[in-house]
Amino acid sequence: MTTEQDLRDIVEGAAESIPRAWPLHSFVTANPLAGFEHEPFPEAVRQAEELFGGRGYPEASVFDRALREGRIDDQVLSEELAAHGFDAEPAALLERADSRDRAGTDHEHPAAERVDRLMAKWLSAFLDEGRANWSMPDREDGFYHAFRKIAPHDGQIPDNGDLAIPEHPTEALAQALAPYPEDEWRRILEHHLAALPGWTQLIKRRQNADDPWQEAAPIDLFAYAAARLALADHLDAPIEPPTRSAPSEARAPVEEAFLAAWERTYREDLVESVQARARAADEGDERPTTQLAFCIDTRSEVLRRHLEDVGDHETHGYAGFFGVPIEYEAFSEERSHGACPPILTPEHPVEERPTDDDVADRYEETTSLLDTALSMVTSLKKNPATAFPFVEHTGAGYGAALSARTLVPGRVRDLLDRLADRVPSPASFCEPSLEGLDLDAQIEYAANAFHLMGIDTFAPVFVFVGHASETANNPFDASLDCGACAGNPGGPNARLLARICNREPVREALAEVGIEIPEDTVFLAAEHTTTTDEVAIFPSPERDRHAAIVDELAADLAEAGQRTAAERWGADDPAKAADEARRRAADWSQTRPEWGLAGNAAFVIARREVPAGLDLDGRAFLHSYDWRADDEGNALEAILTGPWVVTEWINMHYYFASVDNATWGSGSKVTQTPVGNVVTVQGNGGDAATGLPKESLVDVDGRLQHQPLRLSTVVEAPVDRVRAVLAEHDHLEDLVANGWLSLTVVDPTRDHEAVAFQGDRPPTEAEPEAAQIRARADEHT
Amino acid sequence: MHADERERGPSGDPDRLTGGPRDGFARTLTAASWVLWLASLAAIWAFVAGVGAVDVAGLLHIDGLTVTMWAVVAFFTGIVHTYSLRYMAGNEGRGRFFVGVSAFAATVGLLVAADHVAVFAAAWLGMGLIMAELIGHARSWPQAREAARLARRSFLASSLLVAAGLGALAWAAGSTTLTGILAGVDALPRWARLAAGAALALGAVVQSALAPFQGWLMSSMTAPTPASALMHAGFVNAGGLLLARTAPVFAAEPFLLGSLAVLGTASALLGKVWKSVQPDLKRRLGSSTVAQMGFMVLQAGLGLFAAAITHLVLHGFYKAYRFLAAGTGIARESPGADAEVSPLGVAGSTVALGTGLASAVLFAVLTGKGLHLDGGLVLAGLVALTGVHAARQVARRANLRDSWRYGALPLIGLPAVALYAGAYRLVRGLMADVPASSSPVELTFLHGALAAAFLTTYIALETGVHRRSRRLYAWLLNAGQPRPETVLTSREEYDDH
Repeated sequence: MTTEQDLRDIVEGAAESIPRAWPLHSFVTANPLAGFEHEPFPEAVRQAEELFGGRGYPEASVFDRALREGRIDDQVLSEELAAHGFDAEPAALLERADSRDRAGTDHEHPAAERVDRLMAKWLSAFLDEGRANWSMPDREDGFYHAFRKIAPHDGQIPDNGDLAIPEHPTEALAQALAPYPEDEWRRILEHHLAALPGWTQLIKRRQNADDPWQEAAPIDLFAYAAARLALADHLDAPIEPPTRSAPSEARAPVEEAFLAAWERTYREDLVESVQARARAADEGDERPTTQLAFCIDTRSEVLRRHLEDVGDHETHGYAGFFGVPIEYEAFSEERSHGACPPILTPEHPVEERPTDDDVADRYEETTSLLDTALSMVTSLKKNPATAFPFVEHTGAGYGAALSARTLVPGRVRDLLDRLADRVPSPASFCEPSLEGLDLDAQIEYAANAFHLMGIDTFAPVFVFVGHASETANNPFDASLDCGACAGNPGGPNARLLARICNREPVREALAEVGIEIPEDTVFLAAEHTTTTDEVAIFPSPERDRHAAIVDELAADLAEAGQRTAAERWGADDPAKAADEARRRAADWSQTRPEWGLAGNAAFVIARREVPAGLDLDGRAFLHSYDWRADDEGNALEAILTGPWVVTEWINMHYYFASVDNATWGSGSKVTQTPVGNVVTVQGNGGDAATGLPKESLVDVDGRLQHQPLRLSTVVEAPVDRVRAVLAEHDHLEDLVANGWLSLTVVDPTRDHEAVAFQGDRPPTEAEPEAAQIRARADEHT
Repeated sequence: MHADERERGPSGDPDRLTGGPRDGFARTLTAASWVLWLASLAAIWAFVAGVGAVDVAGLLHIDGLTVTMWAVVAFFTGIVHTYSLRYMAGNEGRGRFFVGVSAFAATVGLLVAADHVAVFAAAWLGMGLIMAELIGHARSWPQAREAARLARRSFLASSLLVAAGLGALAWAAGSTTLTGILAGVDALPRWARLAAGAALALGAVVQSALAPFQGWLMSSMTAPTPASALMHAGFVNAGGLLLARTAPVFAAEPFLLGSLAVLGTASALLGKVWKSVQPDLKRRLGSSTVAQMGFMVLQAGLGLFAAAITHLVLHGFYKAYRFLAAGTGIARESPGADAEVSPLGVAGSTVALGTGLASAVLFAVLTGKGLHLDGGLVLAGLVALTGVHAARQVARRANLRDSWRYGALPLIGLPAVALYAGAYRLVRGLMADVPASSSPVELTFLHGALAAAFLTTYIALETGVHRRSRRLYAWLLNAGQPRPETVLTSREEYDDH
């Protein structure tokens, strides 16, 4: 007799191939094939295509274009094709590849489609977060029971009067699965869970989350599977999936060879540049005027480059949550959120607390007036008697707003900014609370920051720079905020760490572990708005101690920001480019306000001087790491197990969403509709459209702004140290061995020789990549 | 470290320009819409300055209603075009889209100027076909094609009804122009008026997506957002236009007006209740449109055709804004977060009732609706209720300063009423020569029943008594669902080309 626990285990096993998807307000770019990372990449793609449909490699036209633009070196391509066992001409191979039939999902049985539609309808009603005034009845009893109680009244279910859904989900599952052998159950459940992948991904994220909505309306995959199978049973929809199609092929598809060639062309260039810079980098002994720690985000690279051009500023890269895993509650918000990567648990509750009560009162009064206005308007709109006069009496106002926002969005933004200036901003009268972190924790996080970045000399002014985006009318704006803070602005974390580092007790303790912070060094925090490339330094009493330096920094940041905007938008005049950037941020009709992390292709973990000399075109994540200060390898381990995993998630999400936007992304924004404050759907509804929209990846001329390349990681560290870390962490070794990303180590103890860890071969000492390829080619001939 | 000293990384491509549309064709069409809008303003000025109505060879009759709607449609077209310059950038069918929007504007322009019944019917059909094209803009997407097919079927049906109604009138009146027909409405036999009126009313109601014909609207979300904005602001109100144009036919038959009032009220209330259960934003907006169009038809049913036109214009502004801003409002929220409210108290109640009364009185005085025992009284009553409700909401807020609690709403609300009154008087003035545009009906028991229906629904929703019924919830949720073949369950079927 199968128990509930047995069934739950089977469901959990079946759900392994389903990744998690986050709601729009906390958008996290995660790998849609996270469930397949234990397989080599080509095999994982094949399995995912079979389960979910779609394609996992770019189309032939994408490779074609890359070839024409010179992004794939011909020599490298022929080497890779040979190494993978293909001997025809590239053009012919591409043609053949395109016409090859994909595994794909078969056309659904009409009853199965009906089950999908009904489930999609009830899931969107159940998972709604506050949009419907009258939410689904019985949500607090959990999805299975809520569905069970409402289904008999659902006129869209045929014979709903005869519906007999068992009282307990275990019974429902057992009943539906009874006709099939138990060793098939996992496959059956996997098929059913993958039928509406968008919704399943959202449920999977939610089921274990510490989320007030989950408390109010619990749901898990077990309940969903039970409800779905009970319904399928009632409608006589097929329970068993169609038989598996083609078995695994002996060799990877030709696209893998093309992709590998493309990546290698990029990577060899990158590694060469890194090697050259690493050998030549001159560190200088002078104390810099300012130091700034930016997030590893690719958008920081461009600004950092321009900032170092403009003035004597030393920039570093560090994870955007600054190493502090907090649960943050802003002064103006009604609930807290986790401000750290989703792979970590937020450990410390931090609140934004006012230091000046009078100002706080003024702020509260204004906000409560606005709140009242809003809730009055909402109330009038939803009521059947008052909604009509409401529309008539406010119609003219809406007409004016319509004209203003469409025709002069820049002016509207300026007006709103001026109005907002009259209200004090919380950052000016609040500071983050420290009760949630004891002194030991504070010391630990401060020490980690400087240790990981390898900083031992401190400038008079040190700024932690978080980042956020600013866009209008954009359901995906959280996807442009800091991914390391789980789709939230990075400002709060920066402010917290700055506050910690300014404290006497912390500095004393740091001195004891060898981190000597001079008396005159002050720590500040700032936030980089990536859409406009403006950086705002948060107000702080410490600022006055070096007012001149900070003022100059602010001026330099403004200049650097303009140049960054000019580079981004391909304009000659920085001031005009900055204006255009501001307009895009404010324009409600702009579907491409900024490119976010599109184009990401590399992760460089090295001393700050190494990438400081390079123009990486905004395509590289950068983490500062000084191998000489990390004999134990702890800092390297922290970087590889933390930020590296996050960058892999980001890179893989962008890869799949640009390769097949319909299956792994959410399609074009133009026909989307937001549902329940949680997710968008395409058109009239159905499966949840999780993932980035087309407009985040494809430019107006149809060109892929994001080149679908797997991440090329370059680490400046001794090879043995890297090998040791990989040996300790199987998951990381799997990622490299299975080809999900590539790892090249530039070993400073051996004259910065490049060692490649990649593919299915174990890492070999000091063997250049070309030799490895030749070796593989020899195997095949 | 200077820029020129720096080594170029592996992927530099300084020639690439991103952002900013360079589409000359789209820009030309956009400029043309705004030029047309300016021309329409000139037409209004000319009309008011004394030119008056213009007849064109028995085909067109350009009167106050025409120039008003020309200005409104040109405005919406200009807005949608300008918005789409950026919003539809990169969309493969962009050129087709812009042409579709312009063609729509042209057809509606023809419709409101039409005098010959064949021209009117043809424009009605053309408008529907173009809108169906916009719904099915993503031609490679099966669900979009299905949605367009459904819309086309509905609009064909509506066009047949309109053609039949106009045909019957033309035959009975012995004239092929609307001006001719409407001049002799009183002389027509009753059966002709009733039959034609019924056909026209039904055609109007289908096009305006009133219950139970809301299916095509609820399945139309495959249209690009600006097309939906145009649809909800400039297409669904075609029903109101039709009723206003043929007002004398309805005004002569109280039975027809009464039916319109009932149909309108039913949709107005149903649409709102459907909206309350939908989590899907565009479906909420669609339900709201059904309700608002119902209200428009109610106003027509009360004989207040100018008010119906005003309503459809103001609703257009509101709904277009809501659609074009559809991407806003995603934010982390808490379940069951309620503001601090305190009980109303004497001061609060006085202010609430006072505001309600003041709004209604102001409304009645400025618009003339509600001064007599006629249809206008129902509308004035609704305004009173709105004033009470709004003031009550504000007065209950515990954490507001007293002066704001009691003073804010009247301060903002009363001018808003005045603003509406201004718009209404403008429209009514422009429509002065449109036959029967303001012929408020005598109050009957029916109107009392309709008013009671509004009041009852208001109270029921406020007290939440309906929430006890699961059956009701399921029925409401289903009423707003799209047709099955327009729902995308298999993501790889999606194709935006």
